[in-house]
Amino acid sequence: MTQINEQQRTDSSLQSNMQTKAQRRIRNTDRFARGCFTVAGWLAGLMIILIFFFVASRGIRVFLPSYGAEQQNIWDFLLGMRWRADNQVYGVAFIIVNTLVSAFGAALLSFPLSVVTALMITRMASPRVGTLLTTVVEVLASIPSVVFGVFASAVITRFVDSLAGLFGQTTAGGNAMLTTMILLAMMIFPTMTDIAIVSIQAVPDSLIQASLAVGATTMQTNYKMILRAARSGIFSGLVLGLGRAFGEATAVSMVAGNAYTGPSVNLFESTRTLTSTMLTGLKETTGLDYDIRFSVGIVLMILILITNSLIFLIKRKVGGGSEHEQ
Amino acid sequence: MNKEKQIDLEQALKSSASERPASEATVKPRTAESRQAESRQAGPLPSELQQEGLQPAEIMADVKNLELYYGDFHALKDINITIPERQVTAFIGPSGCGKSTLLRCFNRMNDLIESCHIQGEIHIKGKNILSPETDVVSLRTHVGMVFQQPNPFPMSIYDNIAYGLRCQGIRDKQLIAERVESSLKKAALWEEVKDHLNRSATRLSGGQQQRLCIARAIALQPTLLLMDEPTSALDPMATSKIEDLVEELKADYTTIIVTHSMSQAARVSDRTAFFLLGEIVETGSTEQIFHKPEDPRTEAYISGKFG
Amino acid sequence: MSSRRKLNDRGLLLMSWIFSAISVAVLVVILAYIFRTGWSVLSPDFIKNNYRSDSFYALLEEAPAGDFTAPAELPEGAAFSRKFGFALSDAKDKQNNDVTQLVYLDSESPLNEAIMDSAGVDLAPKGEAIRPPEGLIIDRIQFLDAQGEKAEVGSKKQMDAQSSIDLLDEEAASLVKYHGLTMGGGIRGSLLTTLILIVLTLIIAIPLGIAAAVWLNELAPKNKTTALLRTGVDMLSGVPSIIFGLMGMTMLFEITRLFGITEQSIVLGALTMSVVLLPLVIRQTEEALKTVPVSMRMGSLSLGASRTQTIFRVVLPQALPGIVTAILLSMSRIIGESAALIYTMGTAIVDHPQLHRGATTLALHIWKVMSGEQPDFQMAAGISIVILGMVLFMNLITRLLLRRFRRN
Repeated sequence: MTQINEQQRTDSSLQSNMQTKAQRRIRNTDRFARGCFTVAGWLAGLMIILIFFFVASRGIRVFLPSYGAEQQNIWDFLLGMRWRADNQVYGVAFIIVNTLVSAFGAALLSFPLSVVTALMITRMASPRVGTLLTTVVEVLASIPSVVFGVFASAVITRFVDSLAGLFGQTTAGGNAMLTTMILLAMMIFPTMTDIAIVSIQAVPDSLIQASLAVGATTMQTNYKMILRAARSGIFSGLVLGLGRAFGEATAVSMVAGNAYTGPSVNLFESTRTLTSTMLTGLKETTGLDYDIRFSVGIVLMILILITNSLIFLIKRKVGGGSEHEQ
Repeated sequence: MNKEKQIDLEQALKSSASERPASEATVKPRTAESRQAESRQAGPLPSELQQEGLQPAEIMADVKNLELYYGDFHALKDINITIPERQVTAFIGPSGCGKSTLLRCFNRMNDLIESCHIQGEIHIKGKNILSPETDVVSLRTHVGMVFQQPNPFPMSIYDNIAYGLRCQGIRDKQLIAERVESSLKKAALWEEVKDHLNRSATRLSGGQQQRLCIARAIALQPTLLLMDEPTSALDPMATSKIEDLVEELKADYTTIIVTHSMSQAARVSDRTAFFLLGEIVETGSTEQIFHKPEDPRTEAYISGKFG
Repeated sequence: MSSRRKLNDRGLLLMSWIFSAISVAVLVVILAYIFRTGWSVLSPDFIKNNYRSDSFYALLEEAPAGDFTAPAELPEGAAFSRKFGFALSDAKDKQNNDVTQLVYLDSESPLNEAIMDSAGVDLAPKGEAIRPPEGLIIDRIQFLDAQGEKAEVGSKKQMDAQSSIDLLDEEAASLVKYHGLTMGGGIRGSLLTTLILIVLTLIIAIPLGIAAAVWLNELAPKNKTTALLRTGVDMLSGVPSIIFGLMGMTMLFEITRLFGITEQSIVLGALTMSVVLLPLVIRQTEEALKTVPVSMRMGSLSLGASRTQTIFRVVLPQALPGIVTAILLSMSRIIGESAALIYTMGTAIVDHPQLHRGATTLALHIWKVMSGEQPDFQMAAGISIVILGMVLFMNLITRLLLRRFRRN
C-alpha cells in the first residue's frame, strides 16, 4: 500500500511539471474556442440586421440624387399604379395590393382545409388514416417551390383557363390571380396544418373530458371547444401562412403573369406580386432595372416584419392555446 | 447592529477564556456572530481546531467568513469551518440549508451560476481558491466531486476514467492504463468490470455507476474529494458499498460528504457540521454532535424533531 | 340525442372527410402530373448527358472501304454498312427532328480513326483521335465515290438510315468526314453543381450554426442581449428566401470579391445558402443540446475539463443525432432552394461547373427551362422527379434515424 503511494507521488510530481505547459495550451485553446463560439453567436443574432441594412442601402440608392439621371422619385414608386420596366416607370402600390389579395385569397382557400385536416389527424381519424394524412402533409411540405411552379403552370393554368371560359372570360394563358391563389393555397397548406396540429395537441385532455361530461357530442367538442381552445396557435399558423405566401417567389413567378397596371379584383386577370416583380426578367446584375428590385425587396421585408409582429400580437391578445413558435 | 456584535464579541471572549463546562453550552446557544468573533480573534489559525490541538499542516481546507448570494437571496451566511486532512467531514441539515452550496464552493462549481456571488475566503492547503487568480480548471483537478445522481458519460468504462487525465493533456497510454486500474481497484469496482472495460458505462447498475464516478474522480488523485449526497439515488445494498468505500478512501483522501441521512453521517464521518438556513449551527466531532450537541437546534434535528 | 344534433354531427363529419380527401387529392394530382410527364425522359442518359448538344466535324483521311459482317444482334431497324462496319438507325433528337443515330460500331471500322476537327468539344480536343460513342447523332457523312467525286448521306440530306447506308455501300470508295451531334439534354452538370453546392454549404453552415447554437445555449450570459440575439435568429427563419438572394448579391458579394470573384458564382451561392440554413441548423442543434443532461456538463467540469473540452468531448457527441438531422434537413433545403440562388448563382446551365463561376442546381435548371419562351415541361417534370426522389429519400432517412436515436 505504501509502495503504491510512493509511486503515485512521483507520478504526480512528474505530472505537475508537464502540466504547466499542457495547461497553458488547454487554456489558450479554451479561450480561442470560446471566442469563436461568441463570434458565431453574435454573427447569427445580428445577421437579420445586416441583411436589412445591406438590402435597404442598395434599395434606397435609386431614390437618392447621387444615382444620377435615372434617379427615381420615392413617392412615384410607393404610390404608383404602373410598372413598366421597359419605360422605366416603377410604381409598386398596386403590386402591394395584388400581393395582399393573392395571399389572403390563398389563405381563405387553404385555412378551412388545413384546420379540418389537423382536427382529423389529431382527433377524428383512425391511426391508419391519421398516418396517411400526416404523410400527405409532410410530403406536401417537402415539395420544393419550383416543382409546385411546374405543376401550376401546366395544370392549374389550364384549369383556371377553362373555368374562365365557363364565366365567359379569357385569361392570358391561365396566368391569373386565381392561379396564383390556388398555387399559394397548396403551398401554405402544410405550414398551417402543422401548426394547427401542434396547437390542437396542446389542448389539455381535462378540457375535452369536461366538454364531453356536460353532454357535448364528440363532434361538438371537436369543433366548438377544441378549436376555440387552440385558436391562438391556429391563428398564428394562419398569419405564418400569409407570411409564406408574401415571400414565395419562384413558383408564383411562373404563373402570376406580368400585369402592367392594377390593382385588379378580377380573378382571371393576370397579376404581379412583389416577388414575381423581383424575379422575372432578371438578366443584368447592374443598372436601374436591377437596383429597383432591391427597393421592392425593402417593401417585402417591411410586409414580412408587419406579419411577424402580428403573430406576436395574436399570441399576446388571444392568449390560450399552445405556445408554439415557428 | 454594530453594538450587538460588540456585545457578542465580549461574550465570546469571556466564553473562550473560561474553560467552559459541557453543560454551559446547552445554556447559552452559540450564534453565528459569536463564532465569527472567535475566528477573528484567533487570527490566521482556525480557532476550533486549534482547541482540539490540530497543527496547520494537518488542515486541508479552511473556510473564513464566507457569504454567498444567489441574486438577492442570502444563501450562505458567515460560514467558518475547517476541514482536517484525511478525515471524513459530513455536512448535515434539512434540505435547502446550503450544505450542497457550500460543497460546490470548494471546487467553485457555483461559478456556473451567473446570479451567484461570493465573499470571504476558502483556503485549500494555504491557497485562497476564491481569489480571482485561481485557475478554476486546475483547481478542479485537485478537488474531485461525486454527484447526487450517478452521471457516467456515455462512453466506455475505460474512457470515463481516462477522461479527466486526457483533458489535462496526458497522452501517455501506459500511465492512463495504470491509473484506470488503480482507481477502479480503489473504488472496489475492478473485479466487477475488469473484463469489459470497453463496455458502455451507462450499462452498469446504479451503484456501480456511482462507484465508477468515484473512481473517475480519484483517477486525478485529488487532494480533496467532495461527495454531494452520493447515495441518495441508490438502493440500501449499493449504499452500504459506497459507505464502505468512503471508509476505505480515508487512508488516502480527505472527504467532505453532504448527506440527508443522519445514520450515514454517524457511520462514515469523523467530523460533522450541522447546517440550518444558510448558517453552520454547530461543528464538532461526529461523536460529540450526535451524543452531546451543544446547540438545542442541533439536538432537535438529530432527535428527528424537524428536518 | 335529438335528431337535429345527430344531423349536425353527421354534417360536420362528412365535411371533415371531404376536406381531408381534398388535401390527399391535391398531393395525388401533383405527383400524378409530375410522374406522368417526366417519367418518359428519365433514363441513364438523362442523368449522364451534358445539357448542351455538341456539334462537330471529324476527319476520316480518306478511310478506304473494307469488308465487314453484321453482328448477330443488331438493334431493330438498324442499317449496317458492310463496307465501313457501322450501323445507323432512325431516331428523334430533343427537338423531335428525325435524325440518324450511330447504334453499332465494329472495332475495325474506319470511323474509329477519325480526327476531331472542331474545338471546344467534350469528346476530344481538336486534332486528337475521336472514337464516336454509341448514340451519337451522325447526320452527315461525306464520301468519295469511285470517280473521286464528293457526295453526302445522312439525315441532313433528308435521308433515313436505311437509304443512307444503301447509298454508302453502293457508291462510296472512301469516307472523308462526318458531322456528329451529341444528344445533350442531360442534367449531369446541374446534378454535379447541386452536389458541390451541398458540400460547400454544409462546410460553412454546419460549423457556424453549431458554434452559434453552442454559444447561445451553453456560454452566453442569460441576459437581455442574449435574448435579443436569439430573437434575431428566430426572425431569420421568417425571412423569405428571395431576400437572402438580394442579401447575397450585396453583402456576401463583397466577400467573394475579396477572392477575385466578380460575378455570380457557386461560392456565392454556398455562402448565401449558409445564411439561409443558419436558423435551421441553430434550432436543431439547440434542441439536441437541451436534451443533454446538465449533470453531464457538471461531471465533466468537476473533473477539471475546460468549458471547451466539455463541449467537444461530452456535450456535442451526445447532441450528434440532432446535428445529423440538421445536416439532412439542410441538404433537402439546398436541393429545393431556387429564389435565393437565382440571384447569386445565375441561371446559365453549364456542363462543367466551376466554383468561381455561375451554374445551375437542379432546381435552377427547372427554373431556366420553364422561364424560356417555350417552357420544356417534360424536362422540368423529369428533373422534378429527380429532386423529389432526393428530398423524399432524405426525409425518410431523417425519420428512420430519429426513430432509432429516440429508441436508444
